[in-house]
Amino acid sequence: MDFFTAMEVSASGLSAERTRMNVAASNLANAQTTQAAGGGPYKRKDVVLSAVDVPGAAGEPFAQAVRGVAVSQITQDAAPPRLEYDPGHPQANAQGYVAYPNVNPVEEMVDMITASRAYEAGVTSMTTAVNMAERALGIGR
Amino acid sequence: MSAPVTLSPMIDQLQLGSSELQPKTETDVAASFGKALADARGLEKQATDAAERFANGDPSMGIHEVIIATEKASIAVRYATTLKNKAVEAYRELMNTQV
Repeated sequence: MDFFTAMEVSASGLSAERTRMNVAASNLANAQTTQAAGGGPYKRKDVVLSAVDVPGAAGEPFAQAVRGVAVSQITQDAAPPRLEYDPGHPQANAQGYVAYPNVNPVEEMVDMITASRAYEAGVTSMTTAVNMAERALGIGR
Repeated sequence: MSAPVTLSPMIDQLQLGSSELQPKTETDVAASFGKALADARGLEKQATDAAERFANGDPSMGIHEVIIATEKASIAVRYATTLKNKAVEAYRELMNTQV
């Protein structure tokens, strides 16, 4: 439904950025976690975004070209864990090394800033769509 | 939201002669207004549902989803109101015709 399509697309973007933010927060929070589910240290997570159909856009002109976004999966970073020598640590291996997560806090901060800016951009496009709808309603006033 | 309000057929009929005046075009306006109202009703219900689910702690419902649903309902209600105002205005305009 005209401007509602733009709103749906922006909404899908906002949801995707929210998930990215959650994942970045999870990575940061677990930057020192040496014991995760399934054994071993926490592994850095990453989101995979994919373009999806926009609900309610069927029948509109160029409905197939307008795509929303969704998180299709959350992957684990395959990079090896960071080894630190700490023989006193309960998780230390036979050589005295502790496996720490492959999380780089600086990288996570950058990811977080990207997610935050993308969310802002999504809100701006949403506001613009709402303003356009309001302008259209104002024509006859 | 694409139902157009067309009053021109009504005016055409007035020009043809009042005996030809049929209530058909009036139902057109009423139908499009009815559709707009139904849309507004549906979206308003969705907004209420979203707010309720958010308040109940549904993890799939984010703040922005609630705000967007509310915004959509607001636009739909204003569209219906504008449609109503236009129809009433046109009716008054016709009723004020000097004879």
